[in-house]
Amino acid sequence: MRVVAAGALALLALAAAPPPAVNDNAGARVFAQCVACHAIEPGRNTPAGPTLHGVVGRPVAAQPGFNYSPALRRFAASNPRWTPELLDRFLADPERVVPGTEMGLIGLRDPAQRRAVIAFLDGSRRHN
Amino acid sequence: MFRAALMPALLAVTLAGSAACAQPAQPQNQQQPAAAPAAAPVALPANVRVYDVPAGSRPHDVAPGPGNLVWYTGQRRGTLGILNPETGAVREVRLGEGSAPHGVIQGPDGAAWITDGGLNAIVRVDPATDAVRVWRLPAEFPDSNLNTAAFDREGRIWFTGQTGIYGRLDPRSGEMRVWRDPEGRGPYGIAATPSGDIYYVSLAGSHLARVDRETGAATLIEPPTAGQGARRVWADRAGNLWVSEWNGGQLSRYTPSTGQWRSWRPEGERTRVYAVYVDDRDMVWVTEWGANATLAFDPATERWTRYPGSGANANVRQILGRPGWVYLPESGLDRIMVVRTGG
Repeated sequence: MRVVAAGALALLALAAAPPPAVNDNAGARVFAQCVACHAIEPGRNTPAGPTLHGVVGRPVAAQPGFNYSPALRRFAASNPRWTPELLDRFLADPERVVPGTEMGLIGLRDPAQRRAVIAFLDGSRRHN
Repeated sequence: MFRAALMPALLAVTLAGSAACAQPAQPQNQQQPAAAPAAAPVALPANVRVYDVPAGSRPHDVAPGPGNLVWYTGQRRGTLGILNPETGAVREVRLGEGSAPHGVIQGPDGAAWITDGGLNAIVRVDPATDAVRVWRLPAEFPDSNLNTAAFDREGRIWFTGQTGIYGRLDPRSGEMRVWRDPEGRGPYGIAATPSGDIYYVSLAGSHLARVDRETGAATLIEPPTAGQGARRVWADRAGNLWVSEWNGGQLSRYTPSTGQWRSWRPEGERTRVYAVYVDDRDMVWVTEWGANATLAFDPATERWTRYPGSGANANVRQILGRPGWVYLPESGLDRIMVVRTGG
């Protein structure tokens, strides 16, 4: 059910985008680019990144126990939550959306990949 | 092209005796904090030149090429970039559809050897013909997020993948072996010591590892600072391992013969030490993202000399050089900074 809800959210947020075809497998494949720095399990920060468990809808730069960059803390002041739309913009080009971010991802240019990984992350609440 | 035109002019001014636009590198504690975004152009030290590379390149790693040429990986453009620092000219070699190269080193054959995360492959570029040859990882290791490589004395290339692997390729036979890091995700920098040993570090795993070059077994060596995020590693002439600790925000040295560790912390409230490289004089170079600067550490005097980024968010992710020269890829600015260290 979580995946279906996430897909609906993403569709609402990206009104101009075609209906997303998302599934955990596609999202998990994209997430492989993230696992070097991010865990998906709750409370599992690494030295390089906060856990992404439940990141969709979570306050920006607010995962307990992770030392966020000044750039992301500043960004959070005007972008309080990781909505699907905000995640979509950020993942497309992290360094353009948050200059000074310490995240190493060069960006996901393919909108379908972004939709898939956002849906996967939204479904992460099922992972305990 | 602004930068390419400006920097020779700056140097010319400096050589004429003026310190208006350039000045000697100074110890860190005599410098002002890193410039804020959109501040005035940074005054660079007199022994520094900066070169533009094609927009959107995101130069990630650098390496000495043939002659005085400088290689860099154009991670966003899927290229090996070739900079001629005498003219500022840049030439690109395309590595193939889907390429996103991370590391580059010069092999014993004089070729450029690249760890390509996009292709999930080790890539060789022939320096004479630009011919590109690709060795893909086995199918059971997809999307390994390949990072960095080093050659052993037997002519085999060792590499890391951040999803939790390290491996070995023998270019003569084409045999490739891949192993899983005992603690999973995180293998990042890798280096060979003067005696031929191979070590790598794990960013997410916060450990150093020594690899048995024949069996492939990794022996983990835990630094004393927990959760320090060991990002890159380099060896000095004595075989000590220097480790840049991202989360720990410090530079550490491991002495294999005694098992002892020692650490030094740059000044700053929130230091983030990304890259490390030991030059031909055993000066230890690190990049410190909290200060947007590269720091040269002299182990004999324990003094730091600061080289500011040429603009805000320079994001230097790796350092390499050759005797007398140090190369700094400013991935956030699409520039290569070159520091002259010798006569």
